[in-house]
Amino acid sequence: MIFTIFKKELKDTLRDRRTLMMMLVIPILIFPIIMNLFASVSKSFQEEAANKKIKIGIVGTENNFLQLELNAIPKELGEKEIILYKDTLSLISDLKKDSLQLGAYVSSEFNQLMDSMNPAPLTFFFNATDMGMQERAEAYMAVIDAKAKSKRFVKLGIEEARTQPITTEYRNIASDKEMIGKLAGGILPYIFIAFGFIGCMYPAIDLFTGEKERGTIETLLTTPVARWQILFGKMGVVVLSGLTAATCALLGLFFSIEFIDSEGNAEILKIVHSILNPTFIVLLYSLLIPLTVFFAGLMIPIAVNAKSFKEAQSIITPLNIVMVLPAMVGFFPGIELNFVTACIPVVNIVLATKELIAGSLDIGLVALSFSVMMSLAVFSVIFSYKRFDNETNIII
Amino acid sequence: MIEVSNLTKEFELTRQQRKELNTTNKIALAVDNISFKCEPGRVFSLLGPNGAGKTTTLRMLSTIFKPTSGSIKIAGIDAVKNPQEARSKIGFLTGSTGLYARLTPDEVIDYFAALYSVPKNLLEERKERLFNLLDMQEFRGKRIGKLSTGMKQKVSICRTMIHDPEVVVFDEPTSGLDVITAENIITLIRDCKTQGKTVIFSSHIMSEVDLLCDDLAIIHKGKMLFEGTMDDFRSNMQTDNLTSEFIRIIHASQTAAI
Repeated sequence: MIFTIFKKELKDTLRDRRTLMMMLVIPILIFPIIMNLFASVSKSFQEEAANKKIKIGIVGTENNFLQLELNAIPKELGEKEIILYKDTLSLISDLKKDSLQLGAYVSSEFNQLMDSMNPAPLTFFFNATDMGMQERAEAYMAVIDAKAKSKRFVKLGIEEARTQPITTEYRNIASDKEMIGKLAGGILPYIFIAFGFIGCMYPAIDLFTGEKERGTIETLLTTPVARWQILFGKMGVVVLSGLTAATCALLGLFFSIEFIDSEGNAEILKIVHSILNPTFIVLLYSLLIPLTVFFAGLMIPIAVNAKSFKEAQSIITPLNIVMVLPAMVGFFPGIELNFVTACIPVVNIVLATKELIAGSLDIGLVALSFSVMMSLAVFSVIFSYKRFDNETNIII
Repeated sequence: MIEVSNLTKEFELTRQQRKELNTTNKIALAVDNISFKCEPGRVFSLLGPNGAGKTTTLRMLSTIFKPTSGSIKIAGIDAVKNPQEARSKIGFLTGSTGLYARLTPDEVIDYFAALYSVPKNLLEERKERLFNLLDMQEFRGKRIGKLSTGMKQKVSICRTMIHDPEVVVFDEPTSGLDVITAENIITLIRDCKTQGKTVIFSSHIMSEVDLLCDDLAIIHKGKMLFEGTMDDFRSNMQTDNLTSEFIRIIHASQTAAI
């Protein structure tokens, strides 16, 4: 009987465009669209910034130090045109009008200070709303400063290497896989939690509140099927829908990494492929299934109590934020899976998944996380049953 | 056969409900100690104004609600102790029943037949007979959401009868339907009677009751005001028509209560 109800509810759900959009289409497309858009926009911005011929205004004398040095910088570091100004007021005014992109003030004592081996002040003016201009000035100055330093060392008769008493080397012993696990591993459970929740939401409301609203629940309750069987049949679809939405989101993310700018991400791709082995997938789903059951168990009593689709939606939607917030813990560095965090629902799943990706998993802690989530899932199913079995809740 | 004795149903009122009903009572008495019997091959009508307790009574008969006290026997089965078994004997149809709009009539009937554990060979035979009888062949494969009210009502009838129930419960089955569509229900009730099924239906329309029923019970505010055959009712009338007599009985009970 549970399977009969499950089959019918699944068919009904798969014919609902709204659920289909939330369960399959959006999760599968969102990451390829976002990543494609982000990659192409950032690429075009970078290209535009690099190719942009900028105008640099300098307040200083004809053939001043900065003017000569800037002219000597190769075109590869960005094309430029230098304009001399008499005062900083007109230079700043032109910067504000965007007829200049960078401005510099070279004091009249600049050359004298340089010759006497003293620090020579140089002031750059830029408009921070014009992206990348500070970085352009810093890039030019890195070249000019290095050249000036070398000249001073020669003048002082000092070997440049001698000015660096200690050469320090920092060696990272963590593998790339561990690095990705610890730093970016939080994204995976976050996606799963966010999309798992959204995936459960529409079927939960449609199969419980919707059935109440449409007046079909009364007929269903008069059939010789136990209420727990009806609940389990419907819950199965809610859980499957949550898992499908989360899986689709992960597949979307995987395909985005796989196909978008694959040349630039060859190293990342290699690591992702090494992470995605059958053991990882089995362990990941064994953690995520109780989580999705817990979500379903949380939403069903709300959907059962609600009198309309709108009422159910208005209660469940803010709950999404409450569930996703603990998932953010995955992005904080330093928080690890231990006996305390393994007992905190949702947080334990996030941290365990991170450890799983990094390959530094303590099986005892994972078992503890799994037990906590399973207990919660069982508790939420019992709670759902109590609400569903309450005659005044299921009939409007 | 339906045997109901000393049936009572109380609902606990929430604070919100107490506020809405302007009462301090924590309990609302929906059905107050009623007893009646519906015989096979006869049509029993539960008559009462809105809020009389008709729907609550029928929901207890179909085991959606559990009685606070009293007993219900459906085709000899104790419906309070064995609700699941009792439900297998019942066909339930209400005027407000919805159908799964995204499924087709064929799929809905197959689904309910599976829930009632109707064997496959019997299902096909019954489905064909009912589809032909109700002229449903043309739209059996169309989505229910795209059907007219009349077509949907035919699907509901087919859904109610697919497991060939011994007892058929109709809760205001014609409410909101036009005359032509309501006629399908009237025909169905008559057919059930001819086939020897036990039929109980609730209504507040006296003309409908007059047309169909053999036995009658009038309830108001959960209390039984009259129970007997339609002939008894007619012969004891103190007014010149059925509707006036129904109103007189309701008013008399209200006056007695004051």
